[in-house]
Amino acid sequence: MASYTESPEEGRGRRNLIVAVVFFALSIVVLYLPAEFQDRVAAGLRISVLRPFLLTQETLVQARRRAEDAGVLQARLDSLAAALAAQAPLVAESRRLHELLELRERAPEVFQAASVIRPGTAGSESMFLLDVGSDQGVRPGDPVLMRDGRIGLVGVVRQVRPGTSIGLDWSHPDFRASAMSEDGNVFGIVEQRRGVFREEDRLLFNGTPFFEGLEPGTLIVTSGRGGFFPPGIPIGEVVALAEQENRWRKAYWLRPVVETGSVSHVLVVVGDVVNEGLMELFLGEPGMSADSLGSSGREPRAPLEGGGG
Amino acid sequence: MRRQVLLRFLIPVLVVLHFFLHLGLGIVRGAPDLLTLALLLAAREVGMGAGAGLGFFFGLLEDAFSVLAFGANALAMTVVGILGARTRDLFVGDSLLFFFWYLAGGKWVRDLIHWIVAGEGARGPVLNALVIDGSLAAVYVAIIGLLLLIPLGGKEALR
Repeated sequence: MASYTESPEEGRGRRNLIVAVVFFALSIVVLYLPAEFQDRVAAGLRISVLRPFLLTQETLVQARRRAEDAGVLQARLDSLAAALAAQAPLVAESRRLHELLELRERAPEVFQAASVIRPGTAGSESMFLLDVGSDQGVRPGDPVLMRDGRIGLVGVVRQVRPGTSIGLDWSHPDFRASAMSEDGNVFGIVEQRRGVFREEDRLLFNGTPFFEGLEPGTLIVTSGRGGFFPPGIPIGEVVALAEQENRWRKAYWLRPVVETGSVSHVLVVVGDVVNEGLMELFLGEPGMSADSLGSSGREPRAPLEGGGG
Repeated sequence: MRRQVLLRFLIPVLVVLHFFLHLGLGIVRGAPDLLTLALLLAAREVGMGAGAGLGFFFGLLEDAFSVLAFGANALAMTVVGILGARTRDLFVGDSLLFFFWYLAGGKWVRDLIHWIVAGEGARGPVLNALVIDGSLAAVYVAIIGLLLLIPLGGKEALR
């Protein structure tokens, strides 16, 4: 006689199917959760289960940095001693470079030094972790600059927690920056353009007037318009004309000042660079301020001195 | 029995090793996707429900750093966990050739689902992401999986 009850195997199979469907539905729900909730879940995982692995990379980065600093500082010391002994003008130049490289000591309330960690997991391209957070004065939207050797725009802080924060670099699809040529004559927008391979991602200086030409090698800096980035931060150098539209606008390919893969130590702009009187750090001339550019931005300026590096 | 005991030990080790290599040491492409390998090995030993749950949890861990496409890894790994467990009912799977293609195919399907779900802003061109990188990564995972058979008892571990 046939059994009217479900066999244990059938029951187990049905339970498995239900559980599988539940997890599948849950994964769909997670995909469409509000961004704020997603961030909370991600942050919870980062500070709990994944924290030991992040601490490992932080420790390794710090150890590597200490090893590099010793060699670099010794080389700098030797170079400075030779330059001072050789020519007097080099004293002023080395002081200038030293000031640029010691930005945090000079303006501790404006710049916050940080180390960069790249997660290296799928889907985490264009983002990085910083070992500074809200308790160091970092806020969402703070610009992130490269510190070692040359000042340039890396990206912007997106999420902040105590002791840690997440940033997006210029290779992120949503990156935009109001920019201008170094002499303040040509204004436009810098945006990211995806290459065939991620290594070919480039920056595009778009929306420039058709009748304004830019020579290859022209330095493009942030314009300060919109109040998002302080004015004068180097972004990239013009490489070639990318496109032009009907005698209306032109766009240029830029070679970025900072290659995202080389970033290891950065400065987060946590203070008001303009009001702190530190604009000459970016613009390269003492006493120069963002106001002196005016609304037309056409006041000529001297080229940046090593401020880029 | 010996294989199950070894797998219960091996799978957590693979998960820890995956995050140690990718997060701890910051190795991106040089390190294999041991998380997917662990899921595929576990899925052959457990039911669909457990496979889906493991995949969901593993995917969520990877999504902790996925600003551009949160949830894509969770969905991809959940589906791979379900399909991997389903192969138990469809294939005996006692040959090295099946094992190789199971691991390679599972890894490639995971990358395919992630590529589809991630959206245009978070993914590269299909030629690069799936055909070139995806195929190489799939073969890489399959080779690592074959090497892991040695401590599990070699070909006998598949029976």
